[in-house]
Amino acid sequence: MRKLLILALTPLALLAACGGGGGGSINNTPPPPPTQQIATPGPPNVETLTVDGGPVQSLNTAFITLTVCVHNTTTCVQVDHVEVDTGSSGLRILNEVIPNLPLGILTTNGGMTIAECLPFADGVSFGPVAVADVSFHDSQKTLSAVNIQVIGAQGYTVPSTCLSEGPKVEDTVAAFGANGILGVGPFLQDCGTACENEVGNGITGAYYTCATPATCADASATLAQQVPNPVALFGSDNNGVIVELPAVGNGGTSGVTGALVFGIGTEGNNGLGSATVLFEDGSGFISANYKGTSFPQGYIDSGSNINFLDDSTLTVCQNDAQFFCPSSAQNLSATLMGVGGTTVTANFTVADANPFITPPLTLFAVPVLAGPSLDTSHRSFDLGLPYFYGRNVYQAIENQTTPAGAGPYFAF
Amino acid sequence: MTLIRSLLHSTLLTALATPALAALGGDVTTVPGEAARMKAAVHTAAAANYSVHEMTTPAGTVVREYAGPGGIVFAVSWNGPFNPNLEQLFGNYYQQYLAASAVYPSHNHRQQLINEPGLVVQRSGRMRAFSGRAWIPSMLPQNVSVADIK
Repeated sequence: MRKLLILALTPLALLAACGGGGGGSINNTPPPPPTQQIATPGPPNVETLTVDGGPVQSLNTAFITLTVCVHNTTTCVQVDHVEVDTGSSGLRILNEVIPNLPLGILTTNGGMTIAECLPFADGVSFGPVAVADVSFHDSQKTLSAVNIQVIGAQGYTVPSTCLSEGPKVEDTVAAFGANGILGVGPFLQDCGTACENEVGNGITGAYYTCATPATCADASATLAQQVPNPVALFGSDNNGVIVELPAVGNGGTSGVTGALVFGIGTEGNNGLGSATVLFEDGSGFISANYKGTSFPQGYIDSGSNINFLDDSTLTVCQNDAQFFCPSSAQNLSATLMGVGGTTVTANFTVADANPFITPPLTLFAVPVLAGPSLDTSHRSFDLGLPYFYGRNVYQAIENQTTPAGAGPYFAF
Repeated sequence: MTLIRSLLHSTLLTALATPALAALGGDVTTVPGEAARMKAAVHTAAAANYSVHEMTTPAGTVVREYAGPGGIVFAVSWNGPFNPNLEQLFGNYYQQYLAASAVYPSHNHRQQLINEPGLVVQRSGRMRAFSGRAWIPSMLPQNVSVADIK
């Protein structure tokens, strides 16, 4: 405990010695291993990626900045702190940060607006599908007339079939934890073919059509009407992303800056190099073997802010059962296996979460945070953002061609 | 004629809209009703001290209801590409869950843990792969452990 606290003070001391810097994030990380090269933000394909706590002091959450415009106009709003999530697909912005942007809403042939209920494990976010132009801050990549979800748009009442999936409604920045979310996961659309016949498939709480914003009803949505993975719509560099974050010491740091790279093997800065490719199954999973148990639903996910482990030998924190608090740091490993049998060892460390989750929070990039997996059926093995520090993690999109074959796959 | 039709219509709507016979905490004989609302097929399996009623929706989500010797559902669980209708599944416990969800800390979108004296809820997952379980601790039959709720 004492040692961790001393480490925690170090970045502040460094900051003072350096005169404060220019408002960038503080970084006391050890030099990255020689194998990690972090791309320089700028055209044609690299965004600045920041872990800094964001609007509501989120641990291990990576953000970018982008601009949302009314289609074919210069009426735009720049939105910072959009979470980068390799575990979902689609761009979603909280209405709260674009309250006066008059985006056009996607409509059916019959003139009804289309809305979506986005389910998470901890709640739902509801709002209409808007048609917007989007430009990315550093790469200057642009998308014209792309479907995005506007979460919490005024007048849109959360339908009962959406609420019943939650029931917590996350339609504010405070509840959602970010100003928006950029889903750059394995899928081309958020729902996919299942929602093309939503009613016939017995699906409720996904897509809706709305005669008025207050009267949305469950409805099927064609793939073209759904919210897509925006990366796949780029004219180039459209087969996946690389999340590149520098290494962080076990004591954590207040924040780090890295890169979100668009495309795999499409430019001089995004080759696979010596990365191991782990092909995912149709549901986006690889398998993991951890302490002798096999988990068929393994994944690597920037949207998980801690590692979720099915491990009853690790002590759960007394004051928050969602984290582990082992008395000493545990160096652990899992064998990850892709479809086709390629394996790689993933090493990670779990340490006492208490110093990092006890307010006031000051350290937002913490590689040693983990908690018990709440997966009821003991299938899931989830390496979250802590695993991303110090390595470049590739996420290839389904059916998109890459030098290693078509996605989806993870590589690192 | 019109009047009769609209009366019939509103009666049907009421029947469909009412959570009616609860799942969690309710009698397991309501399962066929649950299945109808979820358009699911039911399979029953008896374990030592409880029975499991399993439904799979056409969308691929498996829902299980665990009933004790008295036929009362003491736990529910689910996994699949979509969350089930939790209002139906939680029955009379839904309001308690709703209230707890609003106040329990949520650190991320991938997990949720509600640990009330009368209700425990554990959920996890990401887009297209969700799972969860809920149980009433006081109703767990003898010799049944939480680990049995899968």
